[in-house]
Amino acid sequence: MRIEFSEISKSFSANGKGGQRIQALLPVNFVIEGGEFFSIIGPSGCGKSTLLNILAGLESPDTGFVTVDGTRVERPGPQRAVVFQEAGLMPWMTVSANVEYGLKLQGIPRAERRERAMKFLKMVHLSRYAEALPHQLSGGMRQRVSIARALALEPRVLLMDEPFSALDAQTRDVLHDELQRIWQETRTTIVFVTHNIREAVYLSDRILIMTASPGRVKRITTVPFAHPRQKSSTELSAFAAMLHDQIKEEVDKVAATELDPDWDKRPVPVAPLPYGTGEGI
Amino acid sequence: MKRLVSDGPLLWQRIGVKIAFAAFVVALWEGVVRMQFVPEYLFPGPFAVLSRLAAMAWDGTLIASVQASMGRMLLGYAISVVGGLAIGVLAARSWLFKETFGSVILALQSLPSICWLPLALIWVGLDERAVLFVVVLGALFSIATSTEGAIRNIPPIYTKVGLVLGARGIRFAKDILFFAALPELIGGLKIGWTFAWRSLMAAELIRANVKGVGHILEVGRNYNDSAMMLAGMLTILGISLTVDILFFGNIERRVRRRYGLEK
Repeated sequence: MRIEFSEISKSFSANGKGGQRIQALLPVNFVIEGGEFFSIIGPSGCGKSTLLNILAGLESPDTGFVTVDGTRVERPGPQRAVVFQEAGLMPWMTVSANVEYGLKLQGIPRAERRERAMKFLKMVHLSRYAEALPHQLSGGMRQRVSIARALALEPRVLLMDEPFSALDAQTRDVLHDELQRIWQETRTTIVFVTHNIREAVYLSDRILIMTASPGRVKRITTVPFAHPRQKSSTELSAFAAMLHDQIKEEVDKVAATELDPDWDKRPVPVAPLPYGTGEGI
Repeated sequence: MKRLVSDGPLLWQRIGVKIAFAAFVVALWEGVVRMQFVPEYLFPGPFAVLSRLAAMAWDGTLIASVQASMGRMLLGYAISVVGGLAIGVLAARSWLFKETFGSVILALQSLPSICWLPLALIWVGLDERAVLFVVVLGALFSIATSTEGAIRNIPPIYTKVGLVLGARGIRFAKDILFFAALPELIGGLKIGWTFAWRSLMAAELIRANVKGVGHILEVGRNYNDSAMMLAGMLTILGISLTVDILFFGNIERRVRRRYGLEK
């Protein structure tokens, strides 16, 4: 397994069709290796989700291409499963039917897809809720089902677009540990987009740091700690703090374009940091 | 402790109040008639109207009229639903269709469908088909525009999820688009029914030689029979309420509960 981004760039028009063009991504090149937990972080609006959507096949780049094992990505498909920020469970289907639906489309017989759905629901500890409807679950449970649904496709790569940012801090903590465990069990390649540095440091093998808009690769860092990791470890915190200092420059660029010119003359910075840097992850 | 937010009335309280109020209205109606402000042949009391209704039920005219009207309704509505869904999907998915036929449909929707009746009479003649034509035109455009809206309002997450899971073409349309649009779609179908029903009543009133519940009013007028007209109105009201509340209301509630849109 090898994912290669070659000369990917993308621009948007600001005010619908025919408006002013805004460069979202400058030509971007990098490689993700098989089995890796690879995170992409960057300030808001840097195009990190766009990058993920291009890999998913949900958006097409203006220039360049993405290949997965040498095959060019043309359109979305179950080989590149995506977990979005919202769980996006189909409310008219039961939990189990949601997980099974992708398998049904692949023509997998009922008994087998049922078995596979249960396997992955067990993996996220929700096998008891197989017959429940999505609205009967909490936000964290829904996101678990969404992860099970993606894993059930047995994709070559699992894409995650800020999957935990809409959850409360406690639920997020639990799901971090779960994701680390699932990743170690399945050894699926994971591409993870986040704006949360500590989250990225806790989970990833390597982290791609993007510049403020227009997005480019600022650098790719290897996180030098073995899995499984302890969230409370001081080395991890120190590493996250170091990364944060490196990224501060990019955050300031965003603030400079979004805020009044006097924002950084104040003694206490009032600019909300687009990164989660608070206690816990 | 005094509660600031009440839970609202219980079910039996709500039903009880409704029944009591209905009894009050009937009593008031009878009272007003007995005071004879207007002669009774112009404004009959509830018992006169109910006995007229019973008489029509007994001699079979009521059943025959309801059957005739409902037959037309079901046929016309079925045509409108099939056509309206198709047009709505086209308008939502094809900008070319939207910019051409779409704007014509929007314009036609503003024209009350009964205005088509005189022309329809010349085109297809003094028969059932003219009435059917008006019924179809009454519902078709309304169903088409609300279908288009329902599809456009589908949260984009379902489209993205469907594509990622591998749904394409007809599977995507019937597994994802249809169900994602369903809660809003039902509202559109309900409004379509109401428009079709109103058009039918208007057409039956004007086309005096077709049988139907609208026609009961016309016969009542010819015989100066106010009780008959009121009995006909009660019948029409009864059918409207049955379909709106029992049929559409029920489906709507079930879907909304399944989707978690209401408790």
